[in-house]
Amino acid sequence: MIQKKICMLGASAVGKTSLVKRFVESIYSDKYHTTVGVKIDKKQVQVREQELTLLLWDIEGSETKQDFRKSYLRGASGYLVVADGTRNDTLYKALEIQTQAQETIGTVPYILLFNKADLVDQWSITDREIAALTDKNWQVIKTSAKTGVGVEEAFLRLAQKLMET
Amino acid sequence: MIKPRSHGVLDEALPTDPPDDDESMAELRSLLLGPAEARLAEIHSRLTDPQWQLKEVSHILPAAIAVRSRQDDELLEALAPTLTSAIERSVRKNPQPLVDAIFPVMGPAIRKAIASALNGMVQSLNQSLSHSLSVQGLKWRLEAWRTGKSFAEVVLLHTLLYRVEQVYLIHKETGLLLLHVVAPNSTAQDADMVSGMLTAIQDFVHDSFSGQEGDQLDQLQVGELTVWIERGPHAVLAGVIRGAAPQELKEIFQATIENIHLQYNEALVNFTGDAARFEAATLLLEDCLQSQFEMQKQASGSRRRFNPLLIITCVILLALLLWGFFAFRNARRWNAFVEKLKSEPGIIVIDAGELQGKYFISGLRDPLARDPQMILQEANIDPQNTISRWQPFQAMNPEFLLARAEQLLDPPATVQLKVDNNTLEAEGFADPEWISETRRTVRFIPGLNELREDNLLDLDRIEKPMLLFPLNQTQLLPGQEGKLRQLVADIERLHTLALSMNKKVRLEITGHTDTSGPETRNSTLSQGRAETIASELNARLPSDSPLKIAYFGSKEKLREEVMEVDRAANRSVTFKIILSDLQ
Repeated sequence: MIQKKICMLGASAVGKTSLVKRFVESIYSDKYHTTVGVKIDKKQVQVREQELTLLLWDIEGSETKQDFRKSYLRGASGYLVVADGTRNDTLYKALEIQTQAQETIGTVPYILLFNKADLVDQWSITDREIAALTDKNWQVIKTSAKTGVGVEEAFLRLAQKLMET
Repeated sequence: MIKPRSHGVLDEALPTDPPDDDESMAELRSLLLGPAEARLAEIHSRLTDPQWQLKEVSHILPAAIAVRSRQDDELLEALAPTLTSAIERSVRKNPQPLVDAIFPVMGPAIRKAIASALNGMVQSLNQSLSHSLSVQGLKWRLEAWRTGKSFAEVVLLHTLLYRVEQVYLIHKETGLLLLHVVAPNSTAQDADMVSGMLTAIQDFVHDSFSGQEGDQLDQLQVGELTVWIERGPHAVLAGVIRGAAPQELKEIFQATIENIHLQYNEALVNFTGDAARFEAATLLLEDCLQSQFEMQKQASGSRRRFNPLLIITCVILLALLLWGFFAFRNARRWNAFVEKLKSEPGIIVIDAGELQGKYFISGLRDPLARDPQMILQEANIDPQNTISRWQPFQAMNPEFLLARAEQLLDPPATVQLKVDNNTLEAEGFADPEWISETRRTVRFIPGLNELREDNLLDLDRIEKPMLLFPLNQTQLLPGQEGKLRQLVADIERLHTLALSMNKKVRLEITGHTDTSGPETRNSTLSQGRAETIASELNARLPSDSPLKIAYFGSKEKLREEVMEVDRAANRSVTFKIILSDLQ
């Protein structure tokens, strides 16, 4: 059994916790976010016949402060950076966070998620912006914690990337 | 311009052969570049001379290192491995210089360790203090009192009951669980997530409350549960303990994490998420669970261990208590005994007290007084532990005068003695011998002067007189009337005395005849004479008198009939008094 630590990063209210909830059953309450600043959940996935246990560190996003608790990143094999597809500023926050993460733990697999994909009419991320990111070899997935679209795929894709490295 | 510099040599060489031409070129070169060439040669020789290079680099090296260090960390990284190996080799070769070097650091480090140990001690002190103030604490105090153990020992016995329920081995870098063991009958949450959260909380506490790199969360307390965290360079051991674990357990945890690092160092450093390699460490972790059973055994062993000092103290205390009790009781008994003797008639206590663990008493004692030894026994005092000295004396109190008189005079049952103002008073009736003997003796009894016999009756006054009859008649001789009257008066007095002494009187009247005349006549004659006197007495004595009168004739003659006087005496009645107790 292989275990990997992955982190959920992103500005506050982009839906990180909802994504995790969509993906796993949790034993800890959401209170942990406001107290300790992190909540840990577990999900078992299969990647190419290989059982893999993902330990998801859902790290609290900060509205006011620029940084987050970087010590929570330590030892992560990969991370998901989450942005709110309806709020453009969260994309830039996500890019900032990704840079900080890379500085902290080096180059590890990561995927950028545009959450709230169900809110099509409020969508504010342009295809050009997405294309610019994919041009720079960014993996980008649209997700919706509400409908479940892309959620499973996001976690599985990250898991696959973890197993490739 | 050439000419003046040629000196003829150049002139010859130029037109002729090429060697000459080379030489001239060299000469030309030396002429043109002479000083520069020398410098070049010098530079060249310097470049190839290692000694010179050494000197040159040594000039700039310190400054260069300083410059580079300010610029970035590359130099540091480059030097680190070399420095590490150099230090390693140096220590292997001769550890002394390193020992000398770190010596100044040792003091503070040790102080820090001692401070931490003291901290643990204070903690356990706090624990016992809190125990002593709770209901349970009171219960334990009672137990301590009941079993004779010290309170601290009892607290230790109870607090030693702890149980390591779970042990986590966690990869330090990733927070991933490497191994998890659970004690039988214990429940555990999802260990993977607990492991991650535990790591997150450590980071959280460290980031939030600690400024220094070395400060870490070592212990979590949740109600009865304590989580102890022991760190190694690459892994963390977390033990979940129910109850209060002793400090020794911490050492076991430390030894375990050290051991794991020793055996799995490479696996820990290169860990990529596969915890299977650490399964072999299960036994090591289970040692942490087992240690609790050993402690329990120790605890139950010490339960039976007694503190000899405590036992001796208790025995001494008990002995003192018993001794005190008996001493107090004996003193009370002795005092009561002395008081009793003081109030005892015929005994005069002169001195009493205690000497060298024994009681002593001395004084005067009338031989007729109660035996002090008897009183001693009644007071429950050991005669062996008592010394008594009694000098005889004669007590002058009336009861002793009386007792002494009774002892000396031995009065018959019909006599009662009394002492009144140095006078012995005798009441009742006795034979004349005793009466005359008493009259004599009484003068020799100390404290008695005379005998008063107003109420003493001589029995002979009734039994001696004979009432006489004429020949062959049952009527009294004339002139016997006075005797009869006196007799009646004496009988009445006797009767009164007898009543006062609680006696009843039976008077026997016996009729007698002389030997003349036929026997059958004599028989009726004696009977008739007794009957005459009996009816005479009955008539004279008060009718309600309980005096019993019996009469009968006797065939026996009172005396030998030698002369007529004897015959006349035989024609008579005689009296006998029989006293018996009144019911």
